Amino acid sequence: MIDRLLDAARGKVDGADALWRREEQTAVSFESGRLKAAGITEEAGLNLRVVAHGRMGVAGTTAAKPDPKELVARAGASAELGEVVELAFPNPSPQSLTPIPTFFDRTANASLSELIRMGRLLVERLARPDCQVNVAVQREVADTAVGNTAGARGEYRTTGIAVTADITRIAGDDVLMVYDQYVGADMPSDTDLEALVRSVDTRLSAALKIVTPPDGALPVVFTPAGLAAVVLPLEQALSGKTVLQGSSPLAGKVGEALFDARLSIIDDPLTPGRPLSRPVDDECVPSRCNGLVERGVVGQFVYDLETAARAKTQSTGNGRRGVFGKPQIRYTNVLFRGDGVRAGVGAQHAAPLQPDGLGGGLIANIDDGLIVDDLIGVGQGNVISGAFSHPVGLAYRVQRGEITGRVKDAAVAGNAYDLLKKIGGFGSDGRWLGARWSPSLLLEGVSVARR
Amino acid sequence: MKDRLAAAVKQSRAGYTEIRVERTWSSAVAFRGRRLETATVSEDQGGFVRVLNEGYGWGIASFTSLDELPAMVARANELSRAVRLDDPIRLAESAPHSGDAILELDGDVRGVALAEKKKLLDRYNTAMLAVSDVIVDTQSSYRDEVSEVWYVNSEGTSLYQLRPEVVVSGTAIGRRNGNIEKGLESIGLRKGWDSVQNFENQFRVVAQRAVDLLDAPRVRGGAYPVILDNELAGVFIHEAFGHLSEADFVYENPQAREMMTLGRRFGKQVLNVGDNGAAAGLRGTLPYDDEGTPTQDTPLIKEGILVGRLHSRETAAKLGERPTGNARAISFRHPPIVRMTNTYIAPGKEGVGFNDLISDIKLGVYACGAFGGQTMLENFSFTAGWGHMIRDGKVAELVKDVVLAGNLFQTLDRIDHIAGDFTWNQMGGGCGKGGQFPLPVTEGAPHVRIEEALIGGDV
Repeated sequence: MIDRLLDAARGKVDGADALWRREEQTAVSFESGRLKAAGITEEAGLNLRVVAHGRMGVAGTTAAKPDPKELVARAGASAELGEVVELAFPNPSPQSLTPIPTFFDRTANASLSELIRMGRLLVERLARPDCQVNVAVQREVADTAVGNTAGARGEYRTTGIAVTADITRIAGDDVLMVYDQYVGADMPSDTDLEALVRSVDTRLSAALKIVTPPDGALPVVFTPAGLAAVVLPLEQALSGKTVLQGSSPLAGKVGEALFDARLSIIDDPLTPGRPLSRPVDDECVPSRCNGLVERGVVGQFVYDLETAARAKTQSTGNGRRGVFGKPQIRYTNVLFRGDGVRAGVGAQHAAPLQPDGLGGGLIANIDDGLIVDDLIGVGQGNVISGAFSHPVGLAYRVQRGEITGRVKDAAVAGNAYDLLKKIGGFGSDGRWLGARWSPSLLLEGVSVARR
Repeated sequence: MKDRLAAAVKQSRAGYTEIRVERTWSSAVAFRGRRLETATVSEDQGGFVRVLNEGYGWGIASFTSLDELPAMVARANELSRAVRLDDPIRLAESAPHSGDAILELDGDVRGVALAEKKKLLDRYNTAMLAVSDVIVDTQSSYRDEVSEVWYVNSEGTSLYQLRPEVVVSGTAIGRRNGNIEKGLESIGLRKGWDSVQNFENQFRVVAQRAVDLLDAPRVRGGAYPVILDNELAGVFIHEAFGHLSEADFVYENPQAREMMTLGRRFGKQVLNVGDNGAAAGLRGTLPYDDEGTPTQDTPLIKEGILVGRLHSRETAAKLGERPTGNARAISFRHPPIVRMTNTYIAPGKEGVGFNDLISDIKLGVYACGAFGGQTMLENFSFTAGWGHMIRDGKVAELVKDVVLAGNLFQTLDRIDHIAGDFTWNQMGGGCGKGGQFPLPVTEGAPHVRIEEALIGGDV
């Protein structure tokens, strides 16, 4: 399909690239402990980008039998209004693409009854009096093909499986919600599912007692799940697009030591066994690992072809496209590393591991502070500035090195750039959460307000 | 198309079968700073089948290849039969409807050249950039669509709906040294081209606000009397209460049912809340929901007392109530789930204005505009676009980073004063739930006063 489309484009435009993706999902869902629904989704789409008379245009279709001519014409019409871009479509890669495991037969071949069995196991293991358990199991198999008029081609298959469990416990007017997930390309073992159960259990048990929140500027442990508010500003600021637009606080700061010298952050599409790993990006750029922050120093911004051309640099292989839009910069697998922290490799550590319990061993020296496991409204403020302010969704008070209970009606605020200058400690509880691998981080001087 | 769907339904071996097919024509233009990002026209199409058998669960199939329709009906039936249930799923009675429901297009977007749409957005984008040199970046977007939706079920409902939508939004980003602030304007309407003209001034205003916020201090954290402007009050009621009124949260959960017992007091006498999917001309408006049930105005809180909730046919049957037309799906890729439409806080007494709310506040916060909100049911956040301190009964200095931390049982009950100045706030974006985002919804409210609410920040 890609070849036919690029053939149709050749001669009509200066250059083109295209993506074809077909996805099949199978999902089962348990509501309040009962298996309620099973479903499938089948979707195929084709996305074409052209450069015509120096201008860029895009078009996409989900039609069952796409008409290449119609798509080229529509992309051409889009290009008439488009900006001038000196897009260099990559040539065929001289070396073969890095082979990485993205497709697991076990996942692709798992039967509906196997998905139901896993869900049922979780439901049974998570059953608690007065708790409602919802579990969803979703398996995806995708085929992707990319190509361009310079002759580059890429093709790969991926599998993905997501098992999510959430527990809602209502006692009087107290609503407690605890959530966790296993996401990987390979099927979880029963041990992985047990780890998920243990993770939910640990956090639920510690939350049963409600205590008064503290207030003031305090030490706060952000768990891998609680860390999102701190990570989001960095991810936005390290995007080459934001840098080009002049709205990144990190623009012009490559090579400067802005963070704790123990902190490194990488984007690695070559991590084995992760659903977002792939040998080549959606613009035919071979995948590579990029160091975003290296030992506290601002390293590499991430680019797609268009932003790289504008910034007069190379694409970092972070182009991602859907069926209808143009390629955009997207992170793949973002991994946090610190002193003594080894990133989880492959499908290992896909499930939560908490050898030292909640907080990853970071609370021993906290006299009064919090563990933040979930914040409400992350991403809705003035994210790029680094400032965040959120009510806690799930947080625990720490007093004299011990968890004393769950706090409610408290809000934490701070600035990611200030807080990451000095990290109080890296937890021993590193794990994958979606596409991010991180341990817990202890950050000092976080503002905690209470009613 | 209806006949084709009816034939496929007829061939289904399942007890209950419904098919939804959508064809969506859309165009989109986006600017980032002075640069055009994209200008595209797209057509998306696909189908959704859902079946139910006595003693079994839901079987669901969604697909882009319509040639597969009969095979997908059979597949959904197999999936249903793989899900055994002791306690059967029932669907509340919903009288069969048939017909065409064509919403007013108000300037058919399909007849307007893409270049014209680019020109319109360029004007709004340029208006923001022209406000000041410190506006270093903008994100502006125009998106329109006309969606044709066919819906047929095995109980005799057969509908064709034409649903238009148009959204224009812009974010202005101001930067001075390390300081970065933003202003956001967003207009989302279930209408067409004619309804999104002449908004230059609104875009100028938000860009100016981004500039002004650069010099504004962060709000100090703590508990304050707070007045919400109409826009934020709308987001507040959506997050604070709307999601809890969605019956899929309570229908399988005895503790939740107890917590949300009809007749329970949630607020003072002044508080009246509802959800109206049948209101004329709003973004959350639909003649029928995605189960073919007609939409309606559903009172949720009357004089502070819980009086109703939002239903699909399944949740209504389970609770012995009537479906309210709130089963919605964002596209053929998803099943319908219980969602809001146009959710509102009803106006207080006519003539009660902002001044009546503010005059006796010594120190408080006037929280304005909305960057968003999120709920974890009992606790929720809502993020203002900006705020002002209230000092001695008057609006005082501009403050930034105003994020309110709400609690269902405390915050609603502390609403003590509601103005009469009701407006619908039709924004773009939408609501997210169960992986379905963005669903077009509208919120409406007057100015609302909360006696005491928690605001995050340095203390």
